[in-house]
Amino acid sequence: MLEVTNLSKRFGGLVAVANVDLSVRQGEIRGIIGPNGSGKSTLFNLISSVYKPEPGSRIAFDGEDITGRPPHDIARRGIARTFQLLRIFTQMSVLENLLIGHHSHVRYGVGAAVVGAARVWAEERRLKQEMMDLLGFVGLADYAEMAAGELSIGQRRLLALGRAMAMRPKLLMLDEPAAGLSPVNVDKLLNTVMALQKRFGLTLVIIEHILKVVMESCDTVTVLDHGEKIAEGPPAAIKDDHRVIEAYLGKEMADAEVRAFLKAS
Amino acid sequence: MNGPGTNGAAERAPEGWRDLSRFIPWLLGFCVLLVLPWLAVNPYQNYLLNVILINVILAVGLNIVKGFAGQVTVGHIALAAIGAYTSAILSVKFGLPFWLALPAATLVTGLAGALVGIPAFRLEGAYLALATLGLAESVRIFISATDYVGASIGFSDIPPPMLAGKPLGSHIAYYYVVMPVALVGIYLSFCILRSDIGRAFKALREDSLAAAAAGINVRKYKLLAFVISAFYAGCAGSLTAHMSPGFLNPNSYTITEMVTLLLMVVLGGIGHIWGGVIGAVLVTIINDLTVDFYQYRLAIFGMIIVLTVLYMPRGIGGVIDRHFATKRFIALRKAKASVNA
Amino acid sequence: MKSASFRASYVLASALLLAAGVPSAPAAAADDVIRIGVTLRMIVENGLKYGQMTKDELEAVNATGGINGKKIEVTLLDDECKPDRGIANVNRFIHQHKVHLVLGSTCSSVSIPMVDVVTKEEVPQIIPHSTNTSITQKGSPWVFRTSVSERFYSAVHAKYLAENVGKKVAYLYTTDGAAISFAKDYMGYMERTYKVEPIYTAQMQETDLDFRSHLLKIKSLNPDVLAIGGQLDAIARITQQSYEVGIPSKVRRVAASAASNAPVPELAGNAAVGLTFAAAFSCKDERPVAQQFVKMVQDKYKVRCPDHDFSQAYETAQIVKLALSRAKLSLTDAALAQDRRAIRDALATIKDYSGLASGPINFCADPTPQCRDGNRTGILVEYTKGGKDYDMRVLARVSFEADFGLAK
Repeated sequence: MLEVTNLSKRFGGLVAVANVDLSVRQGEIRGIIGPNGSGKSTLFNLISSVYKPEPGSRIAFDGEDITGRPPHDIARRGIARTFQLLRIFTQMSVLENLLIGHHSHVRYGVGAAVVGAARVWAEERRLKQEMMDLLGFVGLADYAEMAAGELSIGQRRLLALGRAMAMRPKLLMLDEPAAGLSPVNVDKLLNTVMALQKRFGLTLVIIEHILKVVMESCDTVTVLDHGEKIAEGPPAAIKDDHRVIEAYLGKEMADAEVRAFLKAS
Repeated sequence: MNGPGTNGAAERAPEGWRDLSRFIPWLLGFCVLLVLPWLAVNPYQNYLLNVILINVILAVGLNIVKGFAGQVTVGHIALAAIGAYTSAILSVKFGLPFWLALPAATLVTGLAGALVGIPAFRLEGAYLALATLGLAESVRIFISATDYVGASIGFSDIPPPMLAGKPLGSHIAYYYVVMPVALVGIYLSFCILRSDIGRAFKALREDSLAAAAAGINVRKYKLLAFVISAFYAGCAGSLTAHMSPGFLNPNSYTITEMVTLLLMVVLGGIGHIWGGVIGAVLVTIINDLTVDFYQYRLAIFGMIIVLTVLYMPRGIGGVIDRHFATKRFIALRKAKASVNA
Repeated sequence: MKSASFRASYVLASALLLAAGVPSAPAAAADDVIRIGVTLRMIVENGLKYGQMTKDELEAVNATGGINGKKIEVTLLDDECKPDRGIANVNRFIHQHKVHLVLGSTCSSVSIPMVDVVTKEEVPQIIPHSTNTSITQKGSPWVFRTSVSERFYSAVHAKYLAENVGKKVAYLYTTDGAAISFAKDYMGYMERTYKVEPIYTAQMQETDLDFRSHLLKIKSLNPDVLAIGGQLDAIARITQQSYEVGIPSKVRRVAASAASNAPVPELAGNAAVGLTFAAAFSCKDERPVAQQFVKMVQDKYKVRCPDHDFSQAYETAQIVKLALSRAKLSLTDAALAQDRRAIRDALATIKDYSGLASGPINFCADPTPQCRDGNRTGILVEYTKGGKDYDMRVLARVSFEADFGLAK
C-alpha cells in the first residue's frame, strides 16, 4: 500500500533520513521506533509532504507516485496523520476540529456555499451528524461545542485521533499518540485505536516511545537510528536485536541488562 | 452552531420548514432596518447610518481575510480605494449608471484582491503586513499623483444612483441603496463563514500546516479569502463614491483609516461571525461621539486595541459566544445528571 | 442556527438604534442664537490655537451684548485635512446643530466637497484658508472665500520679479505636487504674459541630496531668477548649494510656499538671506493693524510669529461679524432657511473691507470667482537673516484684477 524507496532528507549538513526503504501492507499495523533524533518524525513529515525529500527518493501510495505532491493532495489520497505536538485547532470547537478533518469529503462547492444553497445546509447537517457519531466513538461527544483548547491533554490526544479519523483515511500515521498519558489513559487510547483499526480496516503506522504500545499492538516494527533503518521485523525479534539495543542504550550496557529493562517496561 | 439535540423543536420540524425558518431572523432584521431611518431625529443621523453600514461592509470583508483566515493584511483600505475610484471613473468618465458601476467596481477590486493575496503565499504575520502596507501606500500615492482622477485635490461630482429618472441624493434615499447591499453582504458572509469554507479559513489562521495535513489547499483558500474580502472592499468603496456629495480623495485611504478598520474587527471579535458588524457599528459610533477629541482619537483607538487584546482577546463577539456556550454546556450537563439520577 | 441568528440580529438592531439615538443630544436648537459651525485643519502644530482663536473672536461679541442683541454660538471641529471628516462635520453642522453659517476649511480637498454639501442644503459657507482655484469656479451662490486663490497666489512672485528683477528664470524643482505646480504656474505666467521661455528647467527627487551639477549649468547661463520648487529640505539644500557653486547673490532665489516654514531659514543659514516667497500675510508686516494683531496672538495664544493661517482665520471671523450685523435675522426654527439666505446676501455686500489682508476684500452677489474670491492681494516676503533667529521683511504687495487667471 505504501512503498517508500531510497528516501533521504538533509537539513544543511545534517542527514535526518538516509536511504530508507519502507513497505507497508494493506491492513498492517506498523510500529516505528528509534531513539530521539533518529528521524522518525521526519519520515512522517516526508510522507505527508511537510518536507520535500532529496532527489532520488520515491514515495508511492496505492501504486501511484506521490513524491513531492502538495500536502493537501496527499491527505486527499487517504493518508492521515497526527502530530507529535498534536496541532489541534485550539480556538475552534471540538466538533469543528473533526469537520476540518472531513474537509476533503464535503460535497458542495464554493459557489453553493457563498449563496447558502439549501443543499449546503442539508449537507452540513449530515456532516455534523456523522462527526457527532465519530465523536461518540472517541468519547468526546459531550464536549462537541467546547473550544478544543479547553480539553485536557488526554482528551486532546483523542481529538487529534478523531480529526485524523474524520479524514476517512486508508493509511493512518500516528506520531507518539500516547505520549504524556497516564498508564490508564494509554490503555484507553490504545483500545480506541485498535477498535477504529478493526472497524474501518485501517492501515496504521505508529511512532511510539512507550514500547509496550508497540510490542503489544504492532505486526511489524521498523527501527530507525541516525536516519537509517537498522532493523525490521516482528516485535519479538526486534526485542532481541543486538543493534536495536545498542542504538537505544549505547554499547556499554550488556545485552542481558537491556533485555531485563525492556521486559520491565 | 447548534449540535443535534440542543434544538429539539427545530430538530423534529420537517426539513422544508427548517430551510425556510432560517430566513426568518433575516426578514425580521430587514424589517427593523427598513424602519430604522424613520427613528432618526435629523438627517445627520441618516448620514451616520449610511457611514455605519458602509463601514459594516468593509469590516465584514476584513473579518473574512483577517479575522477568519488570519491573514494580517493592511491592504484592505487600498482595495476600498480601488473600488471607489473604479466606480467613480466608470460613472463619470464612461457614463455608466451606478447600478452597473457598483458590480463592475466590485469585480475589479476582487481581481486586485487576488494580487494583494499573492504575497500571502510566502509571507506571514508582520512580513505580510509590511508587504500589503507597501502595496496599499503605492495605491494611495499613485492616486495622489494622477491628474486623471483629481490627484491630491480629489475626484468631484460623482453622481448619485438614479432610480426611475430621480437621483437618490438624499441621505435617507441612499440608505435604501446601502442597507440592502449591506444586509446581503452580511448574509453572504454568514453563509460563507458557516460553511466548510469558513472552517477552512479558521484552520488556516490557527495552523496552516495542520490544515494542509487535513486536506485543505492552503493557497487556494488564502487566495479565496483575499478575493472575497476584496469584493466587500470594492463594494463599500463604490458605495462611498456615490454617496452625497460624491467626492473622493486619497487622504481618506491612509494608514489611520486602516487602523480604524482593524480596530473594528479586533473589537468586534477576530474570527467571530458577527465580529465585523458589531465592531463597525461600535467604532463608527465611538468615532462620532468623540468628535471633539479628534486629535486624541488614534491614541484612544490604540488604547482600546491594547485593552481588547489583553482582556478580551476574542472581542465582544467572543464574550457573547462564550457566555452562551458556557450556559449551554452547563444545561447539557444538568440534563445528563438528571437523567442519571 | 436559529437562536444564534436571532441573538445576533437582536444585538445588531439594538446597536443601530443606539447609533441613531445617542448622538442626538444637542438636537434642540434654541431660538435667538446665531449658530456658526467652524471646521478647520487643527491637527498641525498651531491648528488648535488658530481654531480656538476663530471661536474666541466670533464669540467675543457675546460679552458686549451680541450682534444686534443676538448671541453667537460656535461649534468648533477638527477635520484633520480629511475630506470625509469635513463632509461629516458639515453634515453635522447643518442637520444636527442647524447652523446659520459654516466657516471652513483649511485644505482645499476638504473645502471642495463641503461646497457641494452647503450648496445642496443652501447654507452659506465662508472659506478662510483653502486656495485651490476650482473652489469658487463651482459657481455656488452660497460660497465665499477670504483666502487668496491660487490663481493670484501663483503669480505674486512672477509679476513682481518680472517687473523688478528680470525675466531670465532657471527652474529647479522636485517631483512634489506643490513644487510642480509652483514651477508650472510660474512658467505659464511668464509664457503667457511676456512670451518668455525658461532658460533652464530640471526636475529631481525630493530625497536627492546633491543638486550641484544642475546649479553649475544654471550658473553658466547667468539667470536673473532661480526658482526653487520643493519641500523644506530640498529648498534649503538647493539654496545653500546655489551659493556653494558660486551663483552670485544678485540672482534672486524664489521658492515655493514651503519656504515660509521655519526649518528652511534654520537649515539654510546665511544662504537664506534674500530667499523670497509669496504669502498672504507675514508677522513682519509693519502696518499698525498687523502689529496689533501679532501682539494679540503672541500674548493670548503664545505664538511667536503668527502666519497667514492665523491672519486669514481672524479676518474671516471679523468679516462674518460685520455681515451678521448687516443681516436682518429672525432666528427662529421656522425662519432658518430665510436667515441663512439673509446672511449669504449680507456677506455679498462686503466691499473694500480693510484689515489684515494686504489689500481690500470685496464680495458681490454673482456666484462667480470674480465675486467670491474676496482677497486679491498677495505679499512677497524675503528673509533678511538665516539661522535659528531668522528674520524676514515684506518686499512687496501685489494686487490683481478680479478677472486675473480666469481666461483659459
